[in-house]
Amino acid sequence: MDSKHVSSATIPDHQSSTAEKVIAFLDERLGLKEIQAKMLNEPIPGGSRWAYVFGSVLLFIFIMQAVTGTLLMFYYVPTTDHAYDSTQYIIHNVDYGWFLLSYHFWGSSAMVVCLVAHMSQVFLWGAYKKPRELLWLVGLALFGIVITFGFTGYLLPWDQRAFWATLVGVEILDKTPIIGDFIARFLKGGASPGQMTLSRFFVLHVMILPSALMALAGLHLFLFRVAAPAGPFKGTKEEIKAKTDYFFPRQIWKDIVGMAFVFIGICALALWEPVVLLDKATPDPGEYHPEPEWYFLFYFQLLRLKLFAGQFGQFFGAVALPVAFMILLIALPFFDKDPERNIFKRPIALIAWIATMVVIVLFTIAAIINREFLD
Amino acid sequence: MAEERESMSPTRIGFGILWPACWTGIPIKAVFAVMIMAMGLVHFEGRFGLAFLMLLASPATIFAAPIIMAMYDTHFGEGIGLALIFGLSIPIDIWALGIVGRTFFLDRLRKEPPHDGLGFAIWWRTAVIGMFFLPLLWWIVSHVTEIGISASHSIAEMESLRHLFHTGLPVAERIGLELTIWGTISLAVLMVLAAVGVSTLGQLIRRMAEHTSPAAENYQGLITRWDLMRVPADQGLMLASLVGIGVVLSLVFWAVLPVTTPHPHECCAKPELALEPVFKPAESLSKTMGRITQLVAQAETIEQQKAQAKDQTDKGKEQTGGGAVSNAHAGTKP
Repeated sequence: MDSKHVSSATIPDHQSSTAEKVIAFLDERLGLKEIQAKMLNEPIPGGSRWAYVFGSVLLFIFIMQAVTGTLLMFYYVPTTDHAYDSTQYIIHNVDYGWFLLSYHFWGSSAMVVCLVAHMSQVFLWGAYKKPRELLWLVGLALFGIVITFGFTGYLLPWDQRAFWATLVGVEILDKTPIIGDFIARFLKGGASPGQMTLSRFFVLHVMILPSALMALAGLHLFLFRVAAPAGPFKGTKEEIKAKTDYFFPRQIWKDIVGMAFVFIGICALALWEPVVLLDKATPDPGEYHPEPEWYFLFYFQLLRLKLFAGQFGQFFGAVALPVAFMILLIALPFFDKDPERNIFKRPIALIAWIATMVVIVLFTIAAIINREFLD
Repeated sequence: MAEERESMSPTRIGFGILWPACWTGIPIKAVFAVMIMAMGLVHFEGRFGLAFLMLLASPATIFAAPIIMAMYDTHFGEGIGLALIFGLSIPIDIWALGIVGRTFFLDRLRKEPPHDGLGFAIWWRTAVIGMFFLPLLWWIVSHVTEIGISASHSIAEMESLRHLFHTGLPVAERIGLELTIWGTISLAVLMVLAAVGVSTLGQLIRRMAEHTSPAAENYQGLITRWDLMRVPADQGLMLASLVGIGVVLSLVFWAVLPVTTPHPHECCAKPELALEPVFKPAESLSKTMGRITQLVAQAETIEQQKAQAKDQTDKGKEQTGGGAVSNAHAGTKP
């Protein structure tokens, strides 16, 4: 009673504004202040870092993809008769349609790049180790969803590039033992890509995958909050303690700058190279040499090696190698039980990461050079 | 720890300042670059990646880029916007080098940063080193790459490799082998030369640090200081200004952004479609009726002309009938 009396006496004229009243009303029912405290007052061991921005940036890119994708759906018609023409209409007739489509196109590439950067950061920081195994596994599932997003979205414009990239991709999936035939038939919906394929890819792209991504991203965030940030992999206890800070405001500021930079980067790419379509999809490739989206180019070039020729070679390259790589990633936190997180004291992990990156870069460039031989 | 700080290599010092400073400045530089791109004042064509690297490292490339373009007849982009972007990046780089430099002095060197002009002092040193060093680096790496490519061609065509396969080295293997050879050589030379350049800058910064006094506070005190250095004095004003600038830039961006595709490529031009005229039944019917009437009149005229012509022919035959036949027979006699 006394304290109330004192406070009302010291601030006699203070009256809550309408906004304050609304916030107080909502807080009483929803516990907003508690949520805010939990969301923003998360301590980050060793303080905020630019290396931690990739998760938030990925969430931002996904939201932007959802917004631009929804706007594109106002004009896009998912039928083999109209998909190509409606995409051309978006590019050439709809106001700023070219920019929305180009942003959406480059946004998908940015998502893959940021995803690889995020996974690399987690791997190099040793942040997949106990107690963050589940966080790593859900992250891998999200990686699969993002790649599938790119694969399904690629077909939608229904030009030669889309048609043949999808055909090559489905043929690779077809080589998977036991389930390959079913997946290929399910995706194609017939002997060759047609209306059923387009419908199924469209439904996957705009309904199933976004729902799955939202659910898993929510789970990923929840697990992140439960396990807490891992912090830096080096530095003395004194240094880490001195730099430890809350999520708000410094990390949020870094995240916002990261998001702005990625947004600007995607805009720049859209302005530099706006999306253009090739000829409408036909079962005859003509002079077009089928190839997948750029982030699959390294793998496409890898499969051109003599090592992966023949029935066994094709199975080895198209199925066994990627499956083994994924199993390795899934099992990583369970066989790497060494608590050491400093990447410079984990030589095998460092060499493996460098080797993977070198293979990706080398074979991507090789695939680009290979175009000259095909032309 | 103190010894480690004293013996920090010039390469680590140079890299420790240049790397974060480049990334601190690039988000702001990128905003201007995008605005200029949207206005159509600059075109990067196939050099987008190279142009980004040049802009990222603009403290070092500010004078070096025009020299490289002039000396080696190459370009990182075309249009007046390129000079504009690099011009705008000067104050941004000075600010970024200043804030990163002060942090580096306190956190890594545990020394009091110079009071005034640290950003400018590091910037002009970096720019001058870049002006002399980068064109030289460009020339050396270009030549090494050329030699590496020709050497890798020769290796790929070696007889011993040809015999490994019946039809010579397959294309994919050949590309991979050649790329690995010349790529490794070029990258190694590039990294060594870049390390030399960064080390030169590091030596200059170390000399600057030698004239400064050690920081008095303990580690916690230093961290608090460098942390507060990055926090604006009036956070509300800073936030309001940033939001205001963001809104203005967004409006300007949408105002200057082309409504339709800015440069449709020659290979994939929009197919020209002729619009069908709107169908108006009454107009079409009357037009058709008029056309039919006109055609009927034309047909009648033609019929009349034919009939007249036939009459004239018949009359002519009647007048010259026997003579013509006897003349024809006469013509066939031997």
